[in-house]
Amino acid sequence: MNFYKKNLREVFGETLVELGEYYKNMLVLDADLHTSTRTFLFKDKYPQRFIQCGIAEANEFGIAAGLAHVGFIPFPSTFAAFAARKALDQIYMNICCQNLNVKIPGSYTGMTATECGPSHNVGEDIAIMRSMPNMRVVDPGDNKELRSVMHEIMKIDGPVYFRVSKAETPVLFDDDYCFEWGKGIVLKEGKDITIMSTGIMTGICLKAAEFLEKEDIKAEVIHMPSIKPIDEDLIVKTAKKTGCVLTVENGRVIGGFGSAVCEVLSKEYPVVTDLMGIGNTTIKSASLSELIRYYKLTPADVVLRAKKLLLKK
Amino acid sequence: MDYLKQNEINQLQDIAYEIRRLTVEMVVCGQWGHIGGSFSLAEILSTLYFKELRIDSYQAKSEHRDYLILSKAHCSPALYAVLALKGFLRIEDLYNYCKIGGLDGHLDMLETPILEASGGSLGLGLSYSAGVAYGLRLKEKFAQRVYCIIGDGELSEGQIWEAAMFASHYRLDNLIAVVDYNKVMAKGFVHEEMSQEPLVERWKSFGWNVIEADGHDVADLHKAFYTAKYLEVRGKPNCIIAHTVKGKGIEECEFNYQWHTHAPSVKKGEEFLMELAKRYNKEYTGLRCLPKSKDDGSLAIVIGGE
Repeated sequence: MNFYKKNLREVFGETLVELGEYYKNMLVLDADLHTSTRTFLFKDKYPQRFIQCGIAEANEFGIAAGLAHVGFIPFPSTFAAFAARKALDQIYMNICCQNLNVKIPGSYTGMTATECGPSHNVGEDIAIMRSMPNMRVVDPGDNKELRSVMHEIMKIDGPVYFRVSKAETPVLFDDDYCFEWGKGIVLKEGKDITIMSTGIMTGICLKAAEFLEKEDIKAEVIHMPSIKPIDEDLIVKTAKKTGCVLTVENGRVIGGFGSAVCEVLSKEYPVVTDLMGIGNTTIKSASLSELIRYYKLTPADVVLRAKKLLLKK
Repeated sequence: MDYLKQNEINQLQDIAYEIRRLTVEMVVCGQWGHIGGSFSLAEILSTLYFKELRIDSYQAKSEHRDYLILSKAHCSPALYAVLALKGFLRIEDLYNYCKIGGLDGHLDMLETPILEASGGSLGLGLSYSAGVAYGLRLKEKFAQRVYCIIGDGELSEGQIWEAAMFASHYRLDNLIAVVDYNKVMAKGFVHEEMSQEPLVERWKSFGWNVIEADGHDVADLHKAFYTAKYLEVRGKPNCIIAHTVKGKGIEECEFNYQWHTHAPSVKKGEEFLMELAKRYNKEYTGLRCLPKSKDDGSLAIVIGGE
């Protein structure tokens, strides 16, 4: 597997600048985190279209909604933990209840706030955001995909929450990849078990599938960037083919990506499932690799859980 | 200074009466609603909509309009009433208050597109208004203004002060906040529950121009709006503290938190309308709608029990 040298947050900052050139009504709002989130790149290029809101996230999202009401496309930027937890009422009342064209980048998602610990690491953002009416939710898996996602969200009118992890991912897609709403991507075909993942976990699942292959277990690996709307057809299709589904996510499994998959399966085609991610606990302070090991989300752990699940089939 | 003429004063007072009358009808009709806070707003809304706001009657959402955001969105009856009097809603729509397919109890912009904002969760409106004001300035639309009506109890919400900080930092002098200082919250007096004093000094210390006015005197309100628009220090947002009486217009409701949210019966509603008509020297026209049946949350209606 080839790896990007460039961090996803770097791609986020650069793509903002790229979009700013084309969309003159695009604005970036910040809550005193621009060097961490990399929105400073936009600030340096378009100072007139960058609004510093101070450490006041609730106000930041209210301001964003007001700006959207008069025709701007605001990106209220902060850490995902604070967007999801501190500004939730503003996101619901001002943005979702009015279906406003606000694009919310959640930075440092899941375990990727690393050493910052339970306050900044966030497991619940997917669960929270996907339950908001009118909101779309995306968790991109690599640099190409994040850039493509950011281009696609500009083409629709309505609120979007997209995750910007602070991570260096393996290369999943080639140059002509194009993100599509509500479409999953089969990265590896298989017949024994489906491993479905979102965001930065897909590389780990691909590695796990390699290990399983050696033991003659053919795993189908599906990457699902679009969590809402979700690719119902593909979920049902793969469940019919393999008869068991394992989900893996960089977040809490309660109400998260795995739950979204299970909602489709339980209604349309129930099969045995297992959900991997953060359990009923906070996310501790440590480096990303330490956290992935601690929460048992390494390729070896995925292999183990996959084999356990196969026994239930 | 531009003073109101007597005929203008009479017209605005008549409209304030109509707002109160329609409010009573709506609240009886929907069997839910906030009479107290809607009554304290009547003159503020009549002055704004029929004197201050630049709104094209034929194209309500023209991009050259002034914006009015009602942050204390539980007082929706007063806003719906003034919008109907302005011709933006039908009077018949008002009688569908709090019914499926009708006007929502709190404000929902997706259901009622004439509104400038959804609301109901308190403390959000000033940030939103500041966002609109900032956006208008970015678009170099310097003549347009943004009005945001805030309740006094709502000032306890921390986000109001985040927005106050933001607006003065960015010198949003096109923003005019109106505090409906009716001295009563949902469950008691402001000074007993959570005092907002010294209110004038608080806003001043946040870098705002502050103008006090009698919120039931349309001439005084106009003076305050005129001052905020043309005479105050430029480069600062403006706050008008409108001293009002919660429930103003009906003796039983005045300064009475029990009428913060309460629906009168048909009989009570008729009494209220009669009292209003008497006080404002109008002809009593009676209640022109029937209340919806109230179930008090009993599931027996759906399930079919005894």
